Amino acid sequence: MSDLYLIYKNLIRKPLRFFLTLFAIFVAFLIYGALTAFDTAFHAGVELSADDRLITVNKINFTQPLPISYVRKVEAVDGIAAVVHMNWFGGYYQDPKTQIQTFAVDQTKLLSVYGDDIIIEPAEHAAWLQNRQGLVAGRAVAEAHGWKVGDRIPLSSNIFSQKDGRTSWDFDIVSIYTGSSAQIDTNGIYIRYDYFNETNSFGGDYIGWMGIRTKNPSLNEKVIKDIDDMFVNSPYETETVPEKAFVKGFLSQLGNISLMITSVVFAAFFIILVVVGFSMVLAVKERTSEIGVMKTLGFRSGRLFRMVLGESFMLVFVGGTLGLWAATGFLGLLNNVPQFPVPDIILTQAIILESIGIMALLGLITGIIPAAYALRLNIITALSRR
Amino acid sequence: MINSFSQIWIVIQMNIRSLPQRFWMSFAAVLAVSVVVAVLLSFLAMSNGFKKTLEGAGSEEVAIVTRSGSKSELNSVLSRDIVNIITTAPGIAQNTAGQPVYSPELYVVVDGIKKSSNTKANLPMRGISAAGFDLRDHVDIVAGRMFETGTNQIIAGEAVQREFSGFELGKTVRFGKTEWTVVGIFSTGGSAFESELWAEARTLQSQFRRGTSFQTVRIRLAEPGDTDGLLAMEKNDPRLSLDIQTEAEFFKEQGEAIGGMVYLGWGLSIIMGLGALAGALNTMYTSVSSREQEIATLRAIGFSNVSAFFGTLSESLVLSLMGGIFGAVIAYIFMDGLSSSTMGAGFTQVVFTFKLSPELFRQAVFLALAIGLVGGIFPAWRAARLPVVLAFRGGV
Repeated sequence: MSDLYLIYKNLIRKPLRFFLTLFAIFVAFLIYGALTAFDTAFHAGVELSADDRLITVNKINFTQPLPISYVRKVEAVDGIAAVVHMNWFGGYYQDPKTQIQTFAVDQTKLLSVYGDDIIIEPAEHAAWLQNRQGLVAGRAVAEAHGWKVGDRIPLSSNIFSQKDGRTSWDFDIVSIYTGSSAQIDTNGIYIRYDYFNETNSFGGDYIGWMGIRTKNPSLNEKVIKDIDDMFVNSPYETETVPEKAFVKGFLSQLGNISLMITSVVFAAFFIILVVVGFSMVLAVKERTSEIGVMKTLGFRSGRLFRMVLGESFMLVFVGGTLGLWAATGFLGLLNNVPQFPVPDIILTQAIILESIGIMALLGLITGIIPAAYALRLNIITALSRR
Repeated sequence: MINSFSQIWIVIQMNIRSLPQRFWMSFAAVLAVSVVVAVLLSFLAMSNGFKKTLEGAGSEEVAIVTRSGSKSELNSVLSRDIVNIITTAPGIAQNTAGQPVYSPELYVVVDGIKKSSNTKANLPMRGISAAGFDLRDHVDIVAGRMFETGTNQIIAGEAVQREFSGFELGKTVRFGKTEWTVVGIFSTGGSAFESELWAEARTLQSQFRRGTSFQTVRIRLAEPGDTDGLLAMEKNDPRLSLDIQTEAEFFKEQGEAIGGMVYLGWGLSIIMGLGALAGALNTMYTSVSSREQEIATLRAIGFSNVSAFFGTLSESLVLSLMGGIFGAVIAYIFMDGLSSSTMGAGFTQVVFTFKLSPELFRQAVFLALAIGLVGGIFPAWRAARLPVVLAFRGGV
């Protein structure tokens, strides 16, 4: 009989208790896997933001406009590779309650700045340059509405109206863009600024913000200073920040969601620790006389110690693996929900490695007390009980 | 019949009194249930507090007019002409001079520094007039004074004081090239307006280059809740393309923005509750097996198996109830009144406090008892079916 077989037999000697304890561990890792993956996806924007990209916004707040004349001036700053200006369109399709992130952009510059993230077929991009009413939709949003290249769709704005009073614009879908990785959000739409600017009733020649790519991340600091100094004391002062800082700042506006998630995960693990820990202690206490017999038969204390510890490890690893597996299945279902507001939620390798670490820790904590008990158990007291 | 009830009562007392003998396993079950309840109550307190803050801002007596389809004050735009037309509609309350009571307002977003994270966040700055001040219920200047017309003065809400730095009384703040002095602090009884900065509408229009445009008009209704006159005018006048709602409806919709938190909270608590249930079942099965002899002896001297069943079931219910109460107390101490802020439907920060209510406590205790019931019923069934012969086996 190998030790492994003995551990296994010990585990399932009370099948009901085994099942219940396993289930508790399963639940904890299901929650851990799903929530941590969600948290990672939520912060993916920070991880994915490129080091060589900056964002210039109005210093008062990023919802305040900037004059379009700034774009030329910024382009002339030393160390900048490309600049694309963007406007928030406030777009929705049919139902005002479901907003679509719609940006009116300089179609000639979009890929020069964001080409690493979003992929537009060259032929389709050329068609966009030719068609003022052309629209480029993300894969996720296109699938949600069943759009195909060549469709003509009306898109409404909850902010702007056309000069004739209508709040809806007609667009030709010229391309469906994809992300360069699964974590890139493809729920957005890009339309052409020239079309937007000429037809909207505010007129204006105003832009929302500028996306900037520098020639080298080491130039960022200098570029930031040059841009903001240029417009100081003008009616539209600017604030330029690295993309990463901007995304982080935006997420922190949503409040402390991460803290909430972490506390729940912590609470779930705490329950499991208590439940598993107590039932492990109990399981080993119940076997006191049996351990005495084994010691009498010549099982070394160290071997018994390892066997009891092995028992808790096996329990935690089986339950934990099943939990992560269920979390993967659950997330798979979630990712198939059309227009789910975040990009694909996946159990990344980092999460899985972390889980394995936690399993080892949990196995150690729940197993160490009963294992130490088995180690120190004196044969005489063990056999003399009752 | 009397006899069987008294039997049950005796066994229940025995079970409960002997709890200290099984202290650690019972303690584990109580702890597990209390954590589940505390998590549930945190989520419910959060969404309840958010909802209360926004609903508190809405009045049935005031209609809010926005551009059609805009859904939020920030997105809406109304020209001076539109304001002049819609305020001639029937059904608007009049002041003593016979003039309609309304307040055209501006709503811009500025940056404020959040104390909790030391990062910038979107703060709403509202351009308002004396009429707008009168339109709102429970509004009070609690420190300093009202802004003067034609000057760059602002008054800041109490919630802004709590969550953001730089808006203390007497401070000067810079928005772009313009400088503003905080001359007063106002309270609106805990509603969402307290997350705002208020300045005079005309000053704000000129400083933010908005010309004569506004974003919303608030109109006091002659009859609370009756917007028919306004709606009819909007429908019949081709120049108007507006959304008209009572303020109460408008804010109720916004209050549902984080309603998903309720479902998330319940979903997580139920899944965690299943984990706690496994713990409760473990505890109760252990309790039954450690009392096998005692139960069998009771049966042998004439106690019914029904009494054994109820004895075990009530032990489980008492444990889960203790867990539920403990969890609720923890949630009450740490969560109730906690101040937080998040991005609301208006794309600006809404400062709110976590709020528990008797109804939420009831729901939490219900969840705890459900865990206790399921966790007790199966072990109780086993207790009821223990063979009497166990009593006569010496030792184990």
